[in-house]
Amino acid sequence: MKRNMAMLLSVVLLGLSLTACTSSNDSASDLKAPSKSDSSSATPALSGDDLAFSKFPNPVDVHIGMVVDPTDKTLPEGDSVSNNQYTRYLKEKYNINVIVDWTAATGNDFKQKVSLTIASGKLPDGMVVDDRSFMTKAASSGLLYDITDLFQQYQSSQVKDIMASTDGRAMENASYKGKMVSLPNITVDTDGVHVLWIRKDWLDKLQLPVPKTTSDIEKTAKAFIDNKLGGDKTIGIAGPSKNSFPYSTFLLSSNNMGGFDPIFGAMDAYPGYWLDNGDGSVSYGTLTDNTKNTLALLADWYKKGLIDPEVGTRDNVGDPINANQAGIFFGPWWNGGYGNGDSFKNDPTANWQAYPVYSDDNKWNAHMKTTGSTYTIISKNAKPDVVKAILIMNNALVRDEATFDLSVAVGWYPLRNVMAAANETEYEYAELLKVLKGETQPEDYNKPNSLYKLMYADAKKVKDVIKAPFDDLNVSNFNTANFGDFQRLYSIMIGDRPFTTIPIDKKVFSVTYNQTPTMETKWANLKKMEDETILKIILGQAPIDSFDKFVKDWKAQGGDEITKEVAELLKK
Amino acid sequence: MRKLGHQKHYYLMLLPGMVWLVMFSIVPMFGIAMAFQNYNPGNGLFKSEWVGLDNFKYMFQLNDSKTVILNTFIIAVGKIVFNLLIPLIFAILLNELRSLRYKKLVQTVVYLPHFLSWVIMSTIVIGIFGYYGVVNTIIGMFGVDPKLFMADAGIFRQLLIGTDVWKEFGYNAIIYLAALTGVNPNLYEAAAIDGANRWQLIRRVTLPALTTTVVLLGVLSLGNVLNAGFDQVYNLYNPLVYSTGDILDTWVYRLGLQNLQFSLATAAGLFKSVISFVLIFISYRLAYRYADYTVF
Repeated sequence: MKRNMAMLLSVVLLGLSLTACTSSNDSASDLKAPSKSDSSSATPALSGDDLAFSKFPNPVDVHIGMVVDPTDKTLPEGDSVSNNQYTRYLKEKYNINVIVDWTAATGNDFKQKVSLTIASGKLPDGMVVDDRSFMTKAASSGLLYDITDLFQQYQSSQVKDIMASTDGRAMENASYKGKMVSLPNITVDTDGVHVLWIRKDWLDKLQLPVPKTTSDIEKTAKAFIDNKLGGDKTIGIAGPSKNSFPYSTFLLSSNNMGGFDPIFGAMDAYPGYWLDNGDGSVSYGTLTDNTKNTLALLADWYKKGLIDPEVGTRDNVGDPINANQAGIFFGPWWNGGYGNGDSFKNDPTANWQAYPVYSDDNKWNAHMKTTGSTYTIISKNAKPDVVKAILIMNNALVRDEATFDLSVAVGWYPLRNVMAAANETEYEYAELLKVLKGETQPEDYNKPNSLYKLMYADAKKVKDVIKAPFDDLNVSNFNTANFGDFQRLYSIMIGDRPFTTIPIDKKVFSVTYNQTPTMETKWANLKKMEDETILKIILGQAPIDSFDKFVKDWKAQGGDEITKEVAELLKK
Repeated sequence: MRKLGHQKHYYLMLLPGMVWLVMFSIVPMFGIAMAFQNYNPGNGLFKSEWVGLDNFKYMFQLNDSKTVILNTFIIAVGKIVFNLLIPLIFAILLNELRSLRYKKLVQTVVYLPHFLSWVIMSTIVIGIFGYYGVVNTIIGMFGVDPKLFMADAGIFRQLLIGTDVWKEFGYNAIIYLAALTGVNPNLYEAAAIDGANRWQLIRRVTLPALTTTVVLLGVLSLGNVLNAGFDQVYNLYNPLVYSTGDILDTWVYRLGLQNLQFSLATAAGLFKSVISFVLIFISYRLAYRYADYTVF
């Protein structure tokens, strides 16, 4: 009986959140927030960065919902989510009171909470969401504040530069129907360019060259397995786990650790992306012949045992990599370093190196990501002062992040939404190399408000971490004493090297990185079909010809309709 | 009326429960309206556009809905049947043991998994059935190639039912063991004097004593037939086994909380509730008829 009640309850859970949470937020902020006339009379004299970092004459309460990393232990005894060094900093410098309405743990917990918050229509003043569909759902439901004008007024020069480094893509990403409704997250472009990560020390042991094409990779993976370089359970190529994807898609266009993106690129296939055919029409990349051919190749590799037999069902792709069982995997720049730290701890000679994968005619094709995938959204019901406060909080984070005492994780900063220049890692790669070679001094980078906010701090550390010779960096060049610094510098100097030093022959952008109206109802079904078909083909559970049936079904079940909508976007 | 006056403290004690019921069970019922709307959070429940049965029509157009309903039934019925039978057999066998200490030990060990959540259990299950797991090691000794069980849609349902039974049979056996302690020992002694052997004792004394309990539990679980176990499936499945492992609850979760299709998810949830309601109704009728059991 209890279970049945619980079941009935769960059905109407969505409804509960809807009726139970009637306007508790706005009334609370009404009480303390200064009246509008007060603040607007206090600010007009200021402009530019003075305005962007202005202190409120009266305290402003900002209600937020916040994600909390349950494993983080860096918050000192006695401090809390709403009273810590970051909230005190905001209080002292800007007179901003951060009030945390609710918290949720990283991952699905937080996603559920955000989803329910949106469903109930009662957002806190500000929260950071980690999926564009959350932002667009809230915007299309009329829940978000139009910050177009306030942002123009209140952005700091640094934020302005960072926005500009994306050629308008960040602004578009943060907007809904032409109105800016959120602060975008801007991450480095190289997050979306996936490269081949390979154990160079294993290659050297077998006296093999660095593989360039897919057939080279096949031979190399086979050699790794035949020689059991990772022990009895050696895996040639690690693949996606059950929580990652065979390839990035237009909705999740970056940071896909373990996906096969470079292999698809080498076959000139861009599954999951909306491709501009050049004649005014668009096609969905998954449906192309090139994708089918790549799947046939991957299925062949799987059959030959070159790909992790447990691909698609593992909890975490990082497990076999960190256990040093795998010789090859694919992922963006930070995957070697940040992504597989334990691999180095378990075997200090694990010389992971990153390279592009070339097509048979020697081209490097890469799909490109959108600017970022998290968004600070602001409730329609927030007072103008609260909106200004949120913009100032963002400015302050961008300017001062490098100066904070990071022994308390910066994740505790309220409404933290990363903004980095799109080319930050490339800039750092080049400049850090100069510092290493003695061409420049760390002090040369001591520029407050610099677009590259971590550059100075990194320049001061780089010589402690990296030893000569500097021209061909291997893991033996690195000092792991400070592991955090090691991870960052390894990721930049090794992981970002291909993107920085080798021009990409073909950069493919998706026509859209957003959902069209029909997608909002039909995409879930189509995506499920796609995920199922692709994995089954790779694992040999379905014949390659089932691909044709998938294409037909996909088109019939709303795919054609959606393709038309995306083609409309192209005309604009 | 005088009676009421005497009992008013009882009614007072009832009050918190009633308030709770109204707040968390009756008021949220209005949320069901979402199933008949194109729900827009900005407009709320009262101003969202009414669309009648559109959400239901769309739901049944999707191939998914049929797969999901079928999976839910098969998995849930399988679990009900095996969760009745295995604990029953186990309880009878345990009852035959002479050593009390050994009996206690076995009982404690087998009911431990009940206290682990599926989050933890799923890791164990994946470990056991993984490519390099225990099962593959064992069948490998007989020269069978390792299989990827977690990715095999053909056996995923059996795996779900099997692991659920494994987790719960020790705990479920308690109720049978309790019923067995109620059996009059005279019956066994009398039967033994009449020359019954052990097998005959089980058939003629133990089983009849348990029949009512089995029927009652079986009938009651009918109301649960659409609860195939969200926690378990969610933690164990992957796209490769959607075709046989996706159930109503996981589907509603993906639609509503991951894809933000609130109305469609509510419609699917309501559909499940209505069927469950009918089944509960039937099961109580059956329970009354065959086991003489009533709640009210």
